[in-house]
Amino acid sequence: MNFNFSKYGPKKHEVFAYKCPGCGKLYYPAVMVCDQCHTRRDPSNYFFKDWEKIPLEGDCTLLTWTRVYALPEGYMKKYQDFGIVEFANGLRASGQLDVATPEIGMKLKSSVGVVKERVGKDNYGFIFVSP
Amino acid sequence: MRNVAIVGIGHTGFGNLSSMDLVDVLGFASCSALEDAGILDQRRDLVEQVFVANMGAGRVNSASAVASALVSRIGLEPAMAETIENGPASGASAVKLGMMAIKSGMVDCVLVTGGELMRAVSGWEGTDFVATMLHTEAEYAYGLTLPSFAAMFTRLYMQRYGLTERELAMVAVKDHENGSKNPYAHVKVPCTLEAIHDGENANVVNNIVADPLRLYGMCPVSDGAASLLLCATDSPKMKFFKKQPIRISGVGSATDTQCVHLRKDPLVLDAVRLAAERAYAMAGLGPKDISFAELHDAFVILELAISEEVGFFERGKSREAVVKGETRIDGRLPINTSGGLKAKGHPLGATGVSQIFELVKQLRGEAEEGRRVANPKHGLAVNFGGFGNNVVATICSREDV
Repeated sequence: MNFNFSKYGPKKHEVFAYKCPGCGKLYYPAVMVCDQCHTRRDPSNYFFKDWEKIPLEGDCTLLTWTRVYALPEGYMKKYQDFGIVEFANGLRASGQLDVATPEIGMKLKSSVGVVKERVGKDNYGFIFVSP
Repeated sequence: MRNVAIVGIGHTGFGNLSSMDLVDVLGFASCSALEDAGILDQRRDLVEQVFVANMGAGRVNSASAVASALVSRIGLEPAMAETIENGPASGASAVKLGMMAIKSGMVDCVLVTGGELMRAVSGWEGTDFVATMLHTEAEYAYGLTLPSFAAMFTRLYMQRYGLTERELAMVAVKDHENGSKNPYAHVKVPCTLEAIHDGENANVVNNIVADPLRLYGMCPVSDGAASLLLCATDSPKMKFFKKQPIRISGVGSATDTQCVHLRKDPLVLDAVRLAAERAYAMAGLGPKDISFAELHDAFVILELAISEEVGFFERGKSREAVVKGETRIDGRLPINTSGGLKAKGHPLGATGVSQIFELVKQLRGEAEEGRRVANPKHGLAVNFGGFGNNVVATICSREDV
């Protein structure tokens, strides 16, 4: 007998861009109406289908960054680096940074990991790392 | 259209008032404004509408509907009352709405009070609470905060325009110099360039908080309240007021993307520029007409960036004005004569009201010795919400100009 245990494996976490079904424009984060063709989005899938979700990943360029020593409640570390990046498709995103010596303009790639530990419900999101 | 004047002003000291009740703090500033106007004993007959600016009472102080509570606490029933929440720009938004209520003809006399008790919670909780104005999924969830965005803005600005840490420190020194002479300021102690940048212990005194921003690159976390009494200049009620009325000659506000990364150029603060343009248009004035300004320097970089967006200086050139002393109290265009958020403090909901309080004080000629602008005619205040996604600009003018 063959058992398929794949569903018990680690869940793959991704961050998605949203594709307007009217004109194909990509958004991150999602909007409720396309600013190009004005097509609406229904995240509840109640009245019409939600927009297609496209994994936002890959190579990106660091636009600016900081190392923050005064973190908000819930972060049990001395400091955390953050950055804003631009992906090859022109979309931009903010996220955490995990590189030894960040520099504006450096090439990075996106990964998705735990960005905030919460009991039973960790937050997952972008962590930008060296390629 | 009717003109609107500020006829009374009130202010608490800014600082740590966490042992007090928020409504008492709001009440103190409100009563001071009513007393300044000379109508404390006739308040029920004259004040028709109250707007209270506050961002976090529900979360930080376990208090909601604070406008209703304030009216009851200072005996203003049955005046109409609403609480206005627009992040750190709540204060100027409430003033704008007060002005609109009067201009609409619905009421003649409006009390606007802004206040916040932020130190009721720890610094970590306060930082987290303020960060809730960011995009929930794309920013807040990462641990990003307002200092994070200010720091990333600063790094990019430094790279593009050659701004140095020393020049940033000079802004802080100037603001603390003004704040040291302001009896309402949270930090009344001046600082020197030697202490926070040039000296050998500067790294200890002025440690990095969000690289490249240091402690003296950001405002303190403050409690406090400020209050203004507004009245239509064509109202028969004007005869009751004792002080020189100061006209609100222009108000403008504008919004921008909630996510900073969505801006085509992260260094361009469109909402600031548009808010100022709208205020100038209403007032029939331009940047060259402004005698002094209160700019929202929650981070000192913002004093520079906002001063460029509102048209005082070319992009990237405000640092030269700081070095030349042009923005000092005795300079060509004094900026943050109150000490700004940097020294006076930043109790979110109070800040926009407090900035306009300072405009009135200067235009009346009542500012303290050593931080008094010489013969000012028009003052500009810019109240900056989120990281520039909701901005309100207000111009106040003397009635005789």
